[in-house]
Amino acid sequence: MKVAAHIAVALAQAGLLVLLGPLVTGFVQKLKARLQCRQGADLWQPYRDLWKLLRKGTVQSDTASPFFQVVPVLALAATVVSATMMPVLWAPTDIVPVPLGDAILLLALLALARFVTAIGAFDAGGAFGGMGASREMTVGLLVEPALMMVVFSIAVVGGTTDLGDIAARRSTLAALSWQAPDLLALFALLVLIPAEAGRIPVDNPDTHLELTMLHEGMLLEHSGPGLACLALATHTRQLIVINLVAALFLPVGMAHGMSPVELAVALAAFAAKTLVLATFLGVVESSYAKLRFFRVPQFLGLGLLCAFLSLALRIL
Amino acid sequence: MSPEMATRLIDDLGALLLVTMLIILASGQLFRAIYAVAAQAVFLGIAGAVLAAATGNVDLWVIAGITIVIKAVALPWLLIWVVKRIQMCREIEPVIPISVTLAFAAAIVMLSFHLSASLGPVRQAVTGNALPVGIALTLLGVLVMASRKKALTQMVGLFASENGIFFVAMAVSQGMPLIIEIGVILDVVLGALVMGIMVLRVRSTVDTDIADLETLKG
Repeated sequence: MKVAAHIAVALAQAGLLVLLGPLVTGFVQKLKARLQCRQGADLWQPYRDLWKLLRKGTVQSDTASPFFQVVPVLALAATVVSATMMPVLWAPTDIVPVPLGDAILLLALLALARFVTAIGAFDAGGAFGGMGASREMTVGLLVEPALMMVVFSIAVVGGTTDLGDIAARRSTLAALSWQAPDLLALFALLVLIPAEAGRIPVDNPDTHLELTMLHEGMLLEHSGPGLACLALATHTRQLIVINLVAALFLPVGMAHGMSPVELAVALAAFAAKTLVLATFLGVVESSYAKLRFFRVPQFLGLGLLCAFLSLALRIL
Repeated sequence: MSPEMATRLIDDLGALLLVTMLIILASGQLFRAIYAVAAQAVFLGIAGAVLAAATGNVDLWVIAGITIVIKAVALPWLLIWVVKRIQMCREIEPVIPISVTLAFAAAIVMLSFHLSASLGPVRQAVTGNALPVGIALTLLGVLVMASRKKALTQMVGLFASENGIFFVAMAVSQGMPLIIEIGVILDVVLGALVMGIMVLRVRSTVDTDIADLETLKG
């Protein structure tokens, strides 16, 4: 019974992340538009785009193998499964019957989604897809180890890699109990979020100019419902990364029980944290230019170094 | 303010000093490095204020104030003024690639934490992680000076290095005599002025870069 309830909660939280993912993208785009003195599309535009794509037919390149068709589904599935590991509203304080929520598995699933998308891009045989995939993997090479090190640096304190457990432990502490490595790790994550969410200064989500595409380049050959799946996976991934920051560093207000009041507080806290971090993404995106690709390793190197040092300080 | 609280705050500020130092190292633009070194001086001033509140040493308040006024406002302003005056290229020209510098930086920070662990008795006397952070800042400042071609970026490295020494000095001695601190700050100001003027003069008389002086070797 307890196991079933736990799985139901995890699924509900994943559903929340998937449903709200496009809204966060819509918010960032609206914020960007306002900062550029434009009216901008309204918040629900990403949902409309998804709906439009779902009703369209699929066109596929002649060189693509049958695997190409399952790529969007696999990428979306990996992302949604990783969303189930995320403590969104509810962080249990007691022993969890099923270990849902392992941070290493979460990052591995996100990496799997990235890998599958890249394979699909190569499979279609387009030049842009291959280029985008190769660039995306280069960025992934720098981002993933840094994220791992940030997570480890936090996990060393709690003695567990279970995200729900970490969030529950840390939510009982005040923000002042932050130690020096936490600051370094937070800074590292703030450098890494734009890269992981596919935003400026690493990637530009709005462009379809061949030389500047990273993530978009990989999606070029997809169409119709497949493209909708990949777009939804991108929205969800962005919200997962935002939530990872919140769960690791600001797990304030998470529900430990199941009472409606606690859940309402948790929902408000979740909305507030997401809003703050989405605003951060939007403001960064509006105030910086996209980096030249060969500058990206230097920029991400800063995040990698901070993550490394935060882990080193924790152990030394 | 309780000693534990002070230790924790000094630790956190040490981490912020390290972050600003890494930004200086990773920045490809001169202005970003200058703003980062100004932010570093602000954190240093806050650390001084924290120590002053913890120890009740009045001199430390004065020093914190002077640090913020001179190192966080006056000196960065001077650097920016010089940059605008000589209308130089605002890209930083590293001698070795910046990613390599960052790898060096990681090694240096690890090394300074490892070394200061062997200085047991000294480390006991220092608040929190101030000693390894100070050593790391000093060495990283030297790294900035060694790995950049432009005189102005080398000045940024010098300031950062000096910030590191200042941080340790404050934490070790719980505040040195005021006259010594003021002397040290005056030294830095004088050094900055001399270097700033020299950069201007070199630029206006021979129109060359500091790196070109290398060719003068016999």
